[in-house]
Amino acid sequence: MTRPDVDRDRGAALILAIALVVMVGAISGGLAALVTSSLNNRSTLVLVRDREYAADAVVEQAITLVRAQSGTPLALCGTPGGFVVETFNSIAIRAEWRNACGVIRGSDGTVVAQRNVIFSACPSTGSACAEAAVVLRAQVNFEQSTGAVTRTYVQSWSFRS
Amino acid sequence: MQRARTPTPINPTSASRRWVTRGRGDLGDTLVEILFAVVIIGITVAALMSSLANAGNAANVQRNSVQIDLVMRNYAEATKSAVQSCVDGGTYTVAYAPPAGFTASATPTGNQCPRVSVPVVLQLNVTAPLGVRQAMQIRIRTP
Repeated sequence: MTRPDVDRDRGAALILAIALVVMVGAISGGLAALVTSSLNNRSTLVLVRDREYAADAVVEQAITLVRAQSGTPLALCGTPGGFVVETFNSIAIRAEWRNACGVIRGSDGTVVAQRNVIFSACPSTGSACAEAAVVLRAQVNFEQSTGAVTRTYVQSWSFRS
Repeated sequence: MQRARTPTPINPTSASRRWVTRGRGDLGDTLVEILFAVVIIGITVAALMSSLANAGNAANVQRNSVQIDLVMRNYAEATKSAVQSCVDGGTYTVAYAPPAGFTASATPTGNQCPRVSVPVVLQLNVTAPLGVRQAMQIRIRTP
């Protein structure tokens, strides 16, 4: 009759210990990955927000520049009117503008030309804004009878994140 | 450590002098083994609890960060909206109340409407309950 080998299960303790350590390590690693991922997402949100308001700010500056040019002859419809590059919220933004063609019939039936300007803003790359890179596009009406602009009206203002 | 199997007399006075062998499975664990096991389990559980606590704290910070972003956006939009009714030389009033625990402020203070030809850069500061702060600049312009 052979005696049962009671030492045969001794190695199981080591395997169980390793399994426990691996399980704890996996849980800790998963939690760390979760936290890291969340923080990365937050950074992206902040970056998008800062870029959005940077584009907003540079277009506001461009509107002021165009408003100051009210005494100069208008450029042709659709032709580039100018651009400005500025760093805002640590992001370099280029804002361009061009005149839009527009007329309106007045209360007396006469046709009145409208001074509408389309602004486009994109991250500055040193060259003109590519269509795919535009993050903000706005159309602004400059109220002007004779002389200086009296008021500006934002007709459209849209962002692309 | 291999423990020797010592024959244990059941009844040394017995005439038959019968001997049996006690296997290791009947010996139980020593105090040192149990202490080692308790220490290892303690360290493991402590590490796990620490990870869970850190994850919980990080979740709170994350939630505040998302909320602070929302507060910042709302405050910025409320400010720009208030400036839409500005006239040269006047003042504007921002109609925005941050959620409980959050504070929002702008620099420079005074809510002076910008001159028509000179837009103003405002620094917005928002603080969340756990001390998370964010700052952002916006530009306001009298229409």
